[in-house]
Amino acid sequence: MSEPVTINFGFTPLVDCAIPVVAHEMGFAQEEGIRLNLVREASWAAMRDKLAFGVLDAAHILAGIPIASSLGLGGAPRVAMIAPMGLGRGGSAITVSNTLYQRMLEAEPTIMTGPRAQVARALRTVIEQDRRAGRPPLSFASVFPVSSHNYELRYWLAAGGIDHARDVNLGVVVPPRMVESLRMGWIDGYCVGEPWNLRAVQQGLGAIVATRADIWQDAPDKVLGVRKEWAEQNPDLLLALIRACVRAARWADVSENRTVLADMLATQHYVAAPVELLRATLTGKPVLRRGAEASDLPDRHVFYRQQAAFPWRSHAHWLLTQMRRCGQVGADIDMRAAAESVYRPDLYRRAVAPLGLPVPAGDWKSEDREATGEEAV
Amino acid sequence: MSAQDLKILVIDEHPDRAAIVERGLVEAGYTRVSLISASVNLIGRVQALEPDVIIIDLENPDRDTLEEMFQVSRVIQRPIAMFVDQSDTASIHAAIEAGVSAYVVDGLRQERIKPILELAVSRFNAFSRLRRERDEAQAKLADRKVVERAKGLLMKKKGLDEEGAYNLLRRAAMDRNRKLADIAQSVITAFELEI
Repeated sequence: MSEPVTINFGFTPLVDCAIPVVAHEMGFAQEEGIRLNLVREASWAAMRDKLAFGVLDAAHILAGIPIASSLGLGGAPRVAMIAPMGLGRGGSAITVSNTLYQRMLEAEPTIMTGPRAQVARALRTVIEQDRRAGRPPLSFASVFPVSSHNYELRYWLAAGGIDHARDVNLGVVVPPRMVESLRMGWIDGYCVGEPWNLRAVQQGLGAIVATRADIWQDAPDKVLGVRKEWAEQNPDLLLALIRACVRAARWADVSENRTVLADMLATQHYVAAPVELLRATLTGKPVLRRGAEASDLPDRHVFYRQQAAFPWRSHAHWLLTQMRRCGQVGADIDMRAAAESVYRPDLYRRAVAPLGLPVPAGDWKSEDREATGEEAV
Repeated sequence: MSAQDLKILVIDEHPDRAAIVERGLVEAGYTRVSLISASVNLIGRVQALEPDVIIIDLENPDRDTLEEMFQVSRVIQRPIAMFVDQSDTASIHAAIEAGVSAYVVDGLRQERIKPILELAVSRFNAFSRLRRERDEAQAKLADRKVVERAKGLLMKKKGLDEEGAYNLLRRAAMDRNRKLADIAQSVITAFELEI
């Protein structure tokens, strides 16, 4: 066999960096003739720019970024990128500070023991109390302007009857800094991927009030992102990379492997977080607030099952509709064409064909968000 | 307004590097330069300063926070773009490689911004070079200390003179195709174990 080809692969310290990490650690990349040089990045903007200008070849990246970059949104240079694979579903949650949690509990004890998708109604009562008392609005953070976490937070707030533009401050903080920002009192709550929710609970700083599944389990989150030009120059290498990642995703979904996976991710090179938190979340037994029993959330992190790795074009389209709602993309954009040029299920199908795995017949599915039934504003 | 009147904000977690960039800008005649190192109340401070140009290290996690801020019209009055001439990919490449990113108020002319960006890139590169040289010098110094110590041990324990001790180390390094300092470290460890 010839020398392996090196791919510089950027990742962010989150549970869903599992797929490239497993591809590297368990030898799936090597079996496909690839040496993965995994590079941890401190910000999504840096990841986008390094991918756009060739410092990185591939990245574990927010699904909205290849779309935004291809359209030149947000003032960043316009560089065509593609997303030929999804990197799993589930995994994010909304955490609020202990102080805010106590206030929500006191304001609406009945709502707080009801379905998690509805607890923002208790937040609304707290916001009304603040407004009457003349206190400044509460601040919430997500991880990037075009992150699904931003849209998810807005949905959750809207489900509680909260107008994100009028009733709260919304901002952005990078995932590993969320817990510290909560501790310092700069924010009152946030939406981020694990383990940065459980870390706040463990440190006695916050409580998890909703998980991705309470809002919309099937929401797009991270994808495998590459520059379009790189993909065209390295067609076989890209297919091999997708294959290595799909095999890693299957491995990561086997429940017997989850403890090993947690140990792998906890190390300083990767997520650099306490191993017990990674074990809890990866085995679907997270403690959502201090003193509570561990929850039973078997689908907390899904990497391959339920076609979680398939790059549904309807996901890209949904993200574009959210970008339009937030005023991030103009009405002149052909959303269907943009979704089709960035999300590339054709490449995914071609890559996995030799593995004989089932793939969906179509590239689009109905993206009915369950639970809240209310529209984000 | 002349080019030198532009308000420039440098955001960098390395205060040394920020100072190098600031000095360069001031020497080039830019008088309205501000620095931010810690991210405490970042948005409030950026709003208060109303910079025309922000130079920020590419890796700075605050960039994500800033980019959100630039997109919210009620926070920022003027649209902001990354770099200024996005068709000038050579300049952008040079900036990314140097670890510089720049946010610029839209509508400023390219010839006013380019010298600022070029200056930041050259100062970032100079900083990296200085740091590399310092690291190399420190490593060399540490290596020399290890070799001196190993020589001293060999002289004392094996009754060799300085040249004999050095030749022994050098031959061992050559035979094993390893660095002199590595062999010296092994010698020190071996003697330490004996004691």
